[in-house]
Amino acid sequence: MFKKMTAGVMALTLGASLLAGCSSGGADDGKVTLELFSNKVESIDTYKSLIKEFEAQNPDIKIKLDAPPEAETVLKTRLTKNDLPDIMSIAGNATYGELGRAGVLEDFSGIDLTKTVQPSYIDMVNRLVGPEGEGTYGLPYATNANAVIYNKAKFEEHGLEVPATWDEFIASLEKVKAAGDTPIYFTLKDAWTGMIAWNSLGANVAGEDFAEKKNAGEATFVENYDEVADKMATLVQYGHKDNMGVAYGDGNNAFANGKSVFYLQGNWAIPEILKANPEMELGVFPMPVTNDPEQNKLVSGVDVLLAVSEETEHNEEAMKFVEFMMTKETAQKYIDEQKAFSAIEGVYQENPVFEGIKANFETGAITSFPDHYYPAGMGAENLVQEFLIKKDKEKFLKKMDSEWEKVQNR
Amino acid sequence: MKKKNSVFLIITIPAFLLFFIFHSYPALQGIFYSFTDWKGYGDWNFVGLKNYLNVFKDGRAGDAYLFTFKFAIVSTILVNIISLLVAIGLNSKIKFHKTLRAIYFLPYILSILIVGFIFNFIFAHFLPQIGDAFGWEFLTRNILGNPDLAWIGIVIVAVWQAVSFNTILYLAGLVTISEDLYEAASIDGAGVWTKFWKITFPLIAPFFTINMVLSLKNFLMVFDQIVALTGGGPGKSTESISLLIYRGGFEGGEFAYQSANAVIYFIVIIVFSIIQLKFLNKREVEN
Repeated sequence: MFKKMTAGVMALTLGASLLAGCSSGGADDGKVTLELFSNKVESIDTYKSLIKEFEAQNPDIKIKLDAPPEAETVLKTRLTKNDLPDIMSIAGNATYGELGRAGVLEDFSGIDLTKTVQPSYIDMVNRLVGPEGEGTYGLPYATNANAVIYNKAKFEEHGLEVPATWDEFIASLEKVKAAGDTPIYFTLKDAWTGMIAWNSLGANVAGEDFAEKKNAGEATFVENYDEVADKMATLVQYGHKDNMGVAYGDGNNAFANGKSVFYLQGNWAIPEILKANPEMELGVFPMPVTNDPEQNKLVSGVDVLLAVSEETEHNEEAMKFVEFMMTKETAQKYIDEQKAFSAIEGVYQENPVFEGIKANFETGAITSFPDHYYPAGMGAENLVQEFLIKKDKEKFLKKMDSEWEKVQNR
Repeated sequence: MKKKNSVFLIITIPAFLLFFIFHSYPALQGIFYSFTDWKGYGDWNFVGLKNYLNVFKDGRAGDAYLFTFKFAIVSTILVNIISLLVAIGLNSKIKFHKTLRAIYFLPYILSILIVGFIFNFIFAHFLPQIGDAFGWEFLTRNILGNPDLAWIGIVIVAVWQAVSFNTILYLAGLVTISEDLYEAASIDGAGVWTKFWKITFPLIAPFFTINMVLSLKNFLMVFDQIVALTGGGPGKSTESISLLIYRGGFEGGEFAYQSANAVIYFIVIIVFSIIQLKFLNKREVEN
């Protein structure tokens, strides 16, 4: 009896391990299968068509695309299991910084591909890793921009002009409000949407190197973000009556249907808005944060960077795919479909919607997202959301400082 | 006889192994890591009780505890009152009582996330429209966007769904009560109210206990409803402990710290369940 039982159990476990063996795939038919992990659900179709093209050129390599929801959490769990995908297409944010410091990504420093990328973006991702890891573990690929999107028809109706300074911006908001229209459509039920304005203000007022200074004890939110908080509070006055109750998806629809003149969002919202109203004419401009037009920079971050796992068995094949992605033709195709911008030199987004921020890319008047350098555990977006409800500036700024320090001390 | 025993023992082994590998072992690992500074990957060092001390100093964890308990206590009370009423109604001889039972059980079959998204729509579009139409100012804004009211929205959704399961348990209790008791009581001239307090309520006391303990425990671990409705916002006003542990642990790279938080929370839930069981069991015995 006992023998039979053990045999049964053995058979079961054996079967299970066989199943597991199958799913991990491999090179048994002469083909190399690589896993491409992407954190963007929006780019699945684009990636699929690019992969098809690549596979046609390289018949012995197969690429499996994996783009799960909550991608960063999934990636971190897989890191815990030492099971990183071969190629990763992820955002240049704090998670990338952690991966870089953990030493699990291939270091691209000095290879030829890095020379095709605009140096300011290489610098941006290097600063994410910081001095502890020192190296370029990801190749900036596509970039995004934080902008003020406006409804062209309404813009003309109110007789407005693209503002170049903060005062002009406020004056146009005031004009719209006086005419009984809604100036800005806020979607603050989703806390992250508050960070769009916050980042534009923070980057231009408190400076790009705030996080480094803060960690060195040379800067604090109380000292450097006072003006940012004031301006945030000013902006919310120009919202609609339920700023806190509307979520991002509903906001896109409302803006597409002419519920407001301005919309504070990134370039990624534009395909969504056009989906809701294909006829709509949109324009964008960088938020003019200060009164000196020379100093107002566009906030642009690395939306997608390509990284390769240090431990992959197929480094050569993985690099082949990365090289394919980094060619000018592929990069152009990617940004055209995704309405994004390219980190690769000489590849520009030509879509007329982005006319208002094109100059920033060409002259390099760009700066990075400050919150990508905040410690991930502090939950800045919820703190900002809370501030916009309670408007208690001193307490809020002190809390930002204390939460930052608390997380760093853990 | 002896042989039979060993067979039973063998039968339990697979279940024990599975339970140990997938449940006990990870839990023990979590307790172990709560004494380290592990981020979820890479190197780690022992830090002793530092994580535990930090939890007690963490205002954010404190707020999460306050919210979770406020939510859990209110929801537990509401769920038990409503489901007991529904169960009594369904247990009486009304028309279609079988169909009605099925309908009342429906919310339990739906996934919490789906229910959450449906209610999200109701709160964001449907209720404000009603508010606009009737000129009720308080309804014209999404209550999930108001830090003082958002928790009520979550209570409504959680209670709406939880009532179905507790109703089934109460129904199971009600059918165990013999009709004779009610007949005897009627002959003695007892009214509906007296019958409920003197017969029904004492006799379903064990079911009352189990419902109270289960629902408090479930509501203390509230997570899905919040993810679907508010994501912890506005601000941090609806951040429950489970959400804080998940967010901080997996997204914030504070694996060890939130493990310590989880261990503390585990102990808190056990203590509360034991207190409840002791208190409510005593009541059962007295009757």
